[in-house]
Order: sequence, then C-alpha cells, then structure tokens
Amino acid sequence: MEHTEVLIVGAGASGGVAAGRLAEAGFRVVCLEQGHWPDRDSYPAARPTYELEARRRWSGSPNVRGLAEDYPVEDSASDVAALMYAGVGGSMILYAADWPRLLPSDFRTRSLDGVGDDWPLSYPELAPFYERTDRAFGVAGLGGNPALPEGADPPLPPLPIGAGGLRVARAHDRLGWHWWPAPNAVLSAPYQGRNACAQYGSCMQGCPEGAKASTDVTHWPAAIEAGAQLRTGARVSRILTNAAGLATGAEYVDAEGRWQVIGADVVLLAANAIGTARLLLNSASPRFPDGLGNSTGLVGRRLMVHPFANVLGYFEDRVDSYVGHVGAKIVSYQFYETDTSRGFSRGAKWSLAPTGGPLTSALPTRAGSSTWGPGHHRHVREHLGHTVSWAIFGEDLPDEDNRVEIAPGLTDSSGIPAPRIRYRVGENSRALLDFNIARATESLVEAGAYRTEYESLMRYSGWHLLGTARMGTDPATSVTDPYGRLHDVPNVCVLDGSVFPTSGAVNPTSTIVALALRATENLIANRRDQRTAA
Amino acid sequence: MTEQPPTELRDWLAPLADALIPAEDGMPAAGQLGAAGAQLDLVLDARPDLLRHLTRAYALTGGMSPAEALSTLPGLDPAAHAALLEAVAGGYYAHPEVRELIGYTGQQPVPVRVADFPEYLAEGLLERVLERGPVYRAVD
Repeated sequence: MEHTEVLIVGAGASGGVAAGRLAEAGFRVVCLEQGHWPDRDSYPAARPTYELEARRRWSGSPNVRGLAEDYPVEDSASDVAALMYAGVGGSMILYAADWPRLLPSDFRTRSLDGVGDDWPLSYPELAPFYERTDRAFGVAGLGGNPALPEGADPPLPPLPIGAGGLRVARAHDRLGWHWWPAPNAVLSAPYQGRNACAQYGSCMQGCPEGAKASTDVTHWPAAIEAGAQLRTGARVSRILTNAAGLATGAEYVDAEGRWQVIGADVVLLAANAIGTARLLLNSASPRFPDGLGNSTGLVGRRLMVHPFANVLGYFEDRVDSYVGHVGAKIVSYQFYETDTSRGFSRGAKWSLAPTGGPLTSALPTRAGSSTWGPGHHRHVREHLGHTVSWAIFGEDLPDEDNRVEIAPGLTDSSGIPAPRIRYRVGENSRALLDFNIARATESLVEAGAYRTEYESLMRYSGWHLLGTARMGTDPATSVTDPYGRLHDVPNVCVLDGSVFPTSGAVNPTSTIVALALRATENLIANRRDQRTAA
Repeated sequence: MTEQPPTELRDWLAPLADALIPAEDGMPAAGQLGAAGAQLDLVLDARPDLLRHLTRAYALTGGMSPAEALSTLPGLDPAAHAALLEAVAGGYYAHPEVRELIGYTGQQPVPVRVADFPEYLAEGLLERVLERGPVYRAVD
C-alpha cells in the first residue's frame, strides 16, 4: 500500500501553506484535493456574460454550481447558506481577498466581555505568522492602522481607494470615526513573478491576472517543485485508524472513480469547517462511534459564519465602484470593540465594497431593489457606478446548536454522505447588526448619499466557515490542542477555520493561514516526538 | 452544442422582454436588441440551465398578454420568473450598444496605478485618524 509521511486533505488556503512549508522542510507530502486545477483562461471576467455566469457556474454556493467535484450542503434549516469552492486554491479562487487580522481582544472575549471563549494563544503569539503569510501571499495595505498593535508593514502599498472610498473617508473625517485603506491580498505592484491587479472588478469569479492571492498561484507551484504530490479529483471519504486509536491514512476515490487507500504517518485536515467536520463525522468506527476526535461531542458544533448585513448608498456623482479590486476599498473599526451601552457584546468590522456591473444593478445581489417596465433605465442609471456598499461583518458568538451534521440520505457524486448545516442568527448578533446598519447609514448619508437601502441579513454570505472543531487546552471542552492536533487522535491535525474558538468580526483567511503556518511549524519542530501508527 | 429554444418560446419571449425593458430615456427596448434572438442564444450559451425554467414559464403563461404573464408568473413559479428576468436582463446588458449607452467601462484590463501621494494623504485624513488614537482594546 502506498504510504506517505504527511497526508493533507484539501489544497486550499491552509492546505497550500502547510504543503509548501512541509515540502520545503523535506517531508514526503501527498495532498488529496476533490476539485481540479483552476484554468485562469476559463474565468469569466472579460466575457460580456460575466455577471450571468457569476450566478451559476461561478457562484460561491456548491448547491448552485452543482459541479461533480462539489458536495451538496443541506441548508434548508439555516439562516445563512454555506459558500465555498472545490479546487486547488480552494475558496480563495472565489474570495474577495479582504485580508484583515483579528484584533487582540478577539483572543480574549471571555476574559474581557464574559462571552465566547478565550483562545489558547494571543495576538502577539500569532503576529509573527501573520507577517510571514502577508509576505508569502503579497498583501497590499498601509501600516500604522490604529485598529491594530504596531508591527511590520504589509509588503506592498495599498490599492487605490477610489472615488467612493475617498468620499466616505472624508465623511468619517467629519464624523471623527475610524477609517483606513483596506489590506487586500491583491497585488498593487508586480511581486514574486505575479502581475499586479488589472482592475477587472471580478475577484469573486476568479482573477484572470493571477494578482489575487490564492494558493494555486502563491504556494502550490513551489510546493510541487519541492516534491509535494498533489492529486486532484481525489475525494477522501474517511480517515482510517488502528486499534491503538491512531490514524493510519485515508480512504479516497480517485479521479477515475477507483477507491484507494493511502497510508500516512500524519494526516492534516484542510477542508474548511464544514468539510473537515463532515470528514471527522464520516470517519466514525467502533472505536470512535461518534466520529473521529469527537469524544466531547463538539465536532460539527459551534458553527460560526459571520452574519452579514450591508448598507447601500446612492450618490449623484459617479463613484465607478465596479472598477478595481472587490474586497474592500476602505475599512472601519469604529464599532468593533464592546461598548455595553449599546446593549450587545462585541462588534463589527465594515468594508466598503463595490456594487457590481449593469446586470447586478438591474438585479441586485445585496441591498437594493429592481424596477421593470417604465422606470427601469432610470433605476439602473442610478445604481450603476453611483453606489457603494458598507459590508458589515458581525462577531458571531459560538452556539452549540449551530452545527454541521451528516444529512440523512444525502450524498455527493461519489456516494459519500454529505453535510447538513443548522445555523440561526442569535439575539446578540441581531442587535449588533441592527446597531451597525444604523451607524453605516449615518456614514453614507454624511458622505452625501441621497438615498440608502439596507439588507439586514444576506443569506448567500456564508464564506466564513469557522468553529466546528474548536481548539483549546482542555480535552474535555475542546476538539484540538492549541496547534490543531486532535486531543483524541494525536496524529491528526486540523489546519482550517474549524479550530477557531470564537469568530472575531473580520474576514478569516489571513488568520486561517497564519494558524496553519504556526501549526505546521509546530509539527516540524516536534517531529521526533510525533506519535504515528507505524 | 447548447440546446436551442423552440420558435414559439422565442415568439412568446419577445413582447415580455419589451415589457420588462421598454424603449425609454434614450435606451432601446430589449426586444429591439434581440432579447428573443441573438442575445437569447448568447445567454443560453453561458447559462444553459435557464432554458428549463424558461420552458416552464412559457408553458404557464403562453396564452397570456405580457402584462398578465408578468403579474401572474411570480405567484405560479418564482424560479421561472427569476430565470425570465435573468435571461432578458442578462442578454440586454451584455449587448455592446447598451454598454456604450450607459457608459459602462468595467471588465477591461487597466493596470493598477498606485499613487505616490494619494489624495487622502494630501488632505491629512489619515493624520487625523492617528491623532484620535488607537481604536482597539489593549489586552494584558
């Protein structure tokens, strides 16, 4: 039987980071990825039907795309639909590349605010890994943001904030509110052999320029050059364990549909907080009847997705917000930290986002309405190029009833049981979002908006999949140790957002990859003490 | 090859497209620009999944006037109605003449230029953000 030292499940953000570092350190690495290599020439950015394609083949929802490599997610009992992408680079292929960090208080919500849980690490412990991954991915931004402690500047200067960003920045200056040019994992200048942003405005349907960071362009080429093996179209069904309770490898179905088994000393799970929970639950055995690593019953529970609201402002002047990067032009942390007088705990980060092209003006995917028949053209002219949107990410406190389970009777195209999610927006989140919608409306009115509209909860917003295998120091209350290693199975490590004890209120990819790098360095440093089944 | 819609579906679609996007404010109607012809072919080439829903919409409203069809369909079959809007608007806003008329300049590769001294620095906006001090809580 084939055997490798390290088996990685998933070639996305965290899997790519781990593969690159482990291969560089001389480990034999095999990664199994259910999707395929993305073909940049197939991305729809330059086609006139781009916005139509974004609503199907390039949707973030696996249920909408329905590709063979996608697995369905039963989400009818969920307030928010799960979004992800299967392929080399993972969900980074379609993410917006907003690249903020957690704030120091995010690691201490229990101590500071009496909610959630403290993390088993602190901001200063993670900061050196943030700085390394910022350099590896090529982050554009401006140092000195007073929303964060001092540290190294991003490697590249910030992207343009555009006419809309400047208008809102001036408004925040008058209001005395925080704002800052947003950090994005999009190149503002050529970097490490990659081209700078060409401003297609299509980040969320694949970057045809390769300027947006995703591990298919930032990590996998070097990882493969260093010896890592990446197998696409390879879908893992379960992790295998021996009588001693250690992982021995995995069963998977290969690109030709043949069932295979690969042995491994160590298994790293990098399949996102739904995929990893699904795999752990599907790996139940007589020794682990409730799923692998699930002696606490917490695998799949505490799913957090960041409830997402948005406020749209209409301006008389053109702001041309469909040009350039999509993630964020500017950000505001004015209402991020807890203020008990507001009636809720924690807060939100705001990202000033573009509002799309003509089809999205006619058929808005965020706040906004449609007009058909008389008045249609006026409606589109008012929206297109004349609007900006504050995207509001609220802290999502962990709730054990919000969870990933195996959906009875539902499978993927390989017959592997598929997940069901149940997620409800909690009272704290609702109050938090309502407060921030009101403040964001004030922001846009101050910026000169003659009309505003809002969406109080966006259903198709579940990109930030977190918390389903939380880390901690106590095996009775956490699934993994502070480095992602399963308490129950010490040669299986979780690298993705599943390990987050709390969600913070920022886009999580920069934290996911920093944690993955930290966990990988821990594996390398402790390689001689690593228990294996061999 | 993409499955082609039958002629009767095209005939049904053309007046509905004009009712949804009429000639007004210097803009042509959707039907004038081939909403049931070349633009529909373009749409279905990109989104073949829409044909199934359009076929249902036609079956449900084929004998109705455009106004009646558009007011009835959302209550009968929301997915078919949504597909109708996507197909008509998707074809219309993919047309180069429409893009020129509305001044849409997106989706063109324009290399990013990072200003040495952006306006927000020139205006001192960030200086005042910094003067207001940290907005994060220090943690021991």
